[in-house]
Amino acid sequence: MKSLPANFVIGAVLVALVVGVAGLSLIWTPHDPTALNIRGKFGDPSAVNWLGTDQLGRDIVSQLMAAARNSMTVALVAVLLGGSIGVALGLLASAIGGWIEDGVMRLADLGFAFPALLFAIMLAAVFGPSLTNAVLAIAFINIPIFARVARASANQIWTREYVLAARAAGMNKFTITRDHILPNIAAAVIVQATIEFAVAILAEAALSYLGLGAQPPASSWGRMLSEAQTLMYLAPELAFYPGFCIVIAVLGFGLLGDGLRDITDPRLARAR
Amino acid sequence: MFEMVDVTVRFNAGEALRGASLRIAPGDRIGIVGESGSGKSMLAACLMGMVPDAAKLSGSLSIDGTDMTGAAEATWQAIRARRTAMIFQEPMSALNPLRRVGDTVAEPMRVHLGLSKSDARNRVIALFEEVGIPDPVSRLRMFPHELSGGQRQRVLIALALACDPELLIADEPTTALDANVALKITDLLVHLSQSRNMALVFISHDLAAVARATTDIAVMYGGDIVERGLTAEVLADPVHPYTQGLLAARPDPQAIPRDANGSRRRLPTIPGTVPPLYAMAQGCRFSGRCSVEREECASVKPMPVGPRHATCHAVKRGEA
Amino acid sequence: MMYFLIRRTVGFIATLIAVSIVVFAVMNILPGDPALTILGMDATDDALAALREDLGLNEPLLARYFGWVAGALTGDFGLSHSFRVPVSELISERLAMTISLAVAGMLLTLLIALSVGIYAASRHGKAGDWVTMFISQLGIAVPAFWLSILLVLLFAVNLRWLPPGGFPGWSEPVAAMRSLILPTVALALVQSAVLARVTRSSALEVMRQDFTRTARASGLSQRRILWRHVLPNALVPIVTIVGMQFAALVTGTIVIENVFYLPGLGRLIFQSIANRDLPTVQALVMLFAIIVVTANFVVDLLYVLIDPRLKARA
Repeated sequence: MKSLPANFVIGAVLVALVVGVAGLSLIWTPHDPTALNIRGKFGDPSAVNWLGTDQLGRDIVSQLMAAARNSMTVALVAVLLGGSIGVALGLLASAIGGWIEDGVMRLADLGFAFPALLFAIMLAAVFGPSLTNAVLAIAFINIPIFARVARASANQIWTREYVLAARAAGMNKFTITRDHILPNIAAAVIVQATIEFAVAILAEAALSYLGLGAQPPASSWGRMLSEAQTLMYLAPELAFYPGFCIVIAVLGFGLLGDGLRDITDPRLARAR
Repeated sequence: MFEMVDVTVRFNAGEALRGASLRIAPGDRIGIVGESGSGKSMLAACLMGMVPDAAKLSGSLSIDGTDMTGAAEATWQAIRARRTAMIFQEPMSALNPLRRVGDTVAEPMRVHLGLSKSDARNRVIALFEEVGIPDPVSRLRMFPHELSGGQRQRVLIALALACDPELLIADEPTTALDANVALKITDLLVHLSQSRNMALVFISHDLAAVARATTDIAVMYGGDIVERGLTAEVLADPVHPYTQGLLAARPDPQAIPRDANGSRRRLPTIPGTVPPLYAMAQGCRFSGRCSVEREECASVKPMPVGPRHATCHAVKRGEA
Repeated sequence: MMYFLIRRTVGFIATLIAVSIVVFAVMNILPGDPALTILGMDATDDALAALREDLGLNEPLLARYFGWVAGALTGDFGLSHSFRVPVSELISERLAMTISLAVAGMLLTLLIALSVGIYAASRHGKAGDWVTMFISQLGIAVPAFWLSILLVLLFAVNLRWLPPGGFPGWSEPVAAMRSLILPTVALALVQSAVLARVTRSSALEVMRQDFTRTARASGLSQRRILWRHVLPNALVPIVTIVGMQFAALVTGTIVIENVFYLPGLGRLIFQSIANRDLPTVQALVMLFAIIVVTANFVVDLLYVLIDPRLKARA
C-alpha cells in the first residue's frame, strides 16, 4: 500500500476534528450556547468559559460547537439534496442522450448564471430570510455541478465493453445505470461532494453573515462574525474564533476532496 | 572546438552517461547511434548545458578551451543559439503553437544579436530560403499547425541556425517524419554543415540515416560510448558485440539473411531489452544480453581498447 | 469562425432570455401575491388593490413579463416601491461603485495570481513553491468577509492607516480611493488564491511540452520563456477560471459592500430586501445575472483570440 497523500491525511484529521466537535455538541456543550448572562458579558477566557463570553455573556466555546453542528447540517442537507437531484439528472441525460441530454445540459448552464448568493437573495426577498432558504439556495447551485460531473463520468462508462455487453444482453438502460454506471461514477461523485461540502460551508457562513441564513438565536459562525464586526473596537478577539473555525472546516473538506481525487484518479494528481 | 573528457552524468538511480569523451571540430559530422536509454540524448544535453538539475555532472566539458563543466545557466544562455544549437525529434510539438513561425525564428536573433524587427525579418526570410521553405514571405506569418511535419522540421532547423551556431545537434531529427521527407531533411543537414563549416552531431537509431549524414560515428549503450571510428568502417566491420548485434538487427533489403534452403530467416535480434538505469550492471553494461559474455563482464568495467576504443573485455582479449 | 461566433451569440442571448424567465418566475409566481409580500399580512384591502394597480399585477402574467423585459431593454426597471424613484436611477447612482470594485479587484487578482502562479511553477518542488502553495491553499478556505474584518482590525482599528468603512463620495477622489483600498484587497486576495493555483498547474503542464525545451535551447532566459512562451500557452485554463471568478467577484462585491458599508448595488440589494422592494430586487438580481452570463460569453470569445488553432476549428 502506497503512503496516502499528505493533503488527504491532513484533510481527514481536520474533518474528523470538525465533525467530531459537531457530533459532540449534540449531546454535550460546556454551557447552553444560547444562555444569556448579561453580567458576565465580554468575559475573559477562564476555567469556566474557555474562550470567554460574548456581548450577551454567552459562552464562546459552546456557541462555536453548536455553530459547527449547524454548519455541518446545512452543508450536508444542501449537498445531499442538490447532489442527488444533480446526479439523477446527469445519469438521465447520459442514459437517454439526444435532445434530453442537450436540454439537461443547457439547464445546467443556466444554473451557473446564478451564484448561490443571488438565489438566496431572491428567496429572501420573497419569503423573508431563513436558514431553509439558505439551504435551498446552496442546494440549487449544486444541481448543475453534480449533473455535469455525473454526465461526464457516466458517458465514459457507457462506452466500456462490459456496458456494451450488458446492452447486447438486452438489459434495459435503467438496470444498467443502477448496476454498472452508478457504482462506477461513485468515486467521482464522492470527490465532488467532498469539495462542494467545503464550498457549502463557506456559502452558509457568508449567507448567515449577511443575515440571509441562520436567524437568532441559532448559532452560526457567519452570524457570530457579523455580530463581532460591530464590536471590533470593544472586543476584537470575538472576530477571530469563528473565522478560524470556518477556515479549519473549509480547509479540511477541501484538502480531503483533493486527496480523494489524487487517490482515485492518479492521472489528475500528476499535474499537482 | 568542443571537447568532452570523461564526462559522467549521475542520477540517484544511476549513471546516465559514464565517462564519455568526444571532440568536435568545425565542420565535423559525427553520428551518435544507440537505442533509447543509451545516453545519446544525455550526451546532447551536456553539449547544450541542459542536463537536468537532479543530475550531477563530473569530468570536463570545454568550448575552445574554456571549461564549461560547472557553468551557470546564464553562461549557457549566451552559448546556446550562438555557439551550439539543437533540433529535436518531434517537430509537431517543438514549436510554440501560439506564435507565428517567423516570430519564433526571429526571437533568438532579436534577443542575442539585438537585430531590429525588419533586419530579423529579412534574416528569417533568407534562412527559410536556405533550409528550403518555399514562399518564405507568406510562411512567416503561418502558425505551426498550418505547416506539414517536414516544413515544421525545416522551421526548427532555421531556428537553430538563427544565430549562426558552430555546432548543430540534431536529436532524432527524422524519426517522426515520412521516409522520403526524412531523406531530404538528412541531406539538408549535411548540406548546411558543409556550406557553413558547421559541426553536426547527428543522433539517431537509424543506421542508414547516420551512414548518409556523417563521416564519424560513436556507438552508445547504457551510457557508454562502446565503439567509435569512421562511419563507413564501423558500419562495414563492427568490433564491439553490441555494434555487431545492432547491424545484424538492421532490416536490409539487399541482405535478407536466408537459411540453407534459400528461404528467409527471421531477422536476428539482440536478446532482452535495455535495462533501466538502476538495474544496469556495474561492469560492461551490455552484459546479460551479450553473446560472448564472460564472468568478469558484469562486474569489471571494460576500458576502451584498440583503434575503435571498443569497451569490451572480449575485444581486449582478441576474441571478438 | 463566423459560424462559431453566431452560435455562441445565439446561445448567449438564449441564456439571457432563460435567466430573465427564471428571475421573473421566482419573483412573481413563487410569492403568490407580490403585493401581499410587499405590504405584509396586515395591509388593508384598499392598499393592496392600489399597489396591484401600481405594479400592474392585474394584467396577465405573460403581459407583465414582456412588459418587464421591454422596459428593461430600454433601461426602465419600473418604480422602486420603497424609494419612490425609478429603479434605473437607483442603479445608475450606485453602478460606478460596484463596477470600480469589481474591475479593480479583478486587475489586482490577475496581478497577484499570475505572478505568484508563475513564480511557484518556476520553483517547482522547491521551498518557494511549497510556501506559496500552502498560503494559497489557506487562502481558498478564508471567507472574504472574515479577511475583510481582519484587514479592518489591522489597518483601520490598530494602525489607523485606512478608514474602516463608509464612503466619502467621488467628489473627494483621494479619500474615495483610500476607502476602496481595503475592500479591493480583500476581494482580490481571496480570488487570487484559486487563480494562482490554476496558473501554477497550467504553467507546469506547459513547461513539460517540447517547445519550452526548444525555447531553452535557443538560449532564451527562464524569465522570458516563462512570460512569453509558457504563460500565453497556459492561458486557456486560466481564462476559464477568470471568467468564473469574475462572476464570483461581482457577487463578492455584494458581500464586501456590506462589510465596508459602501453605497453600491450590493448595499442596495440588502436595503431592498429589508424593505420588501420586489421590483428593485428583481432588477438587481437580473443585472448581476447578466454580468455573470456576459463574463462567460466574453471568455468564450477570448479563447479564439488566444489560440489560433481554435480559430481554424471554430
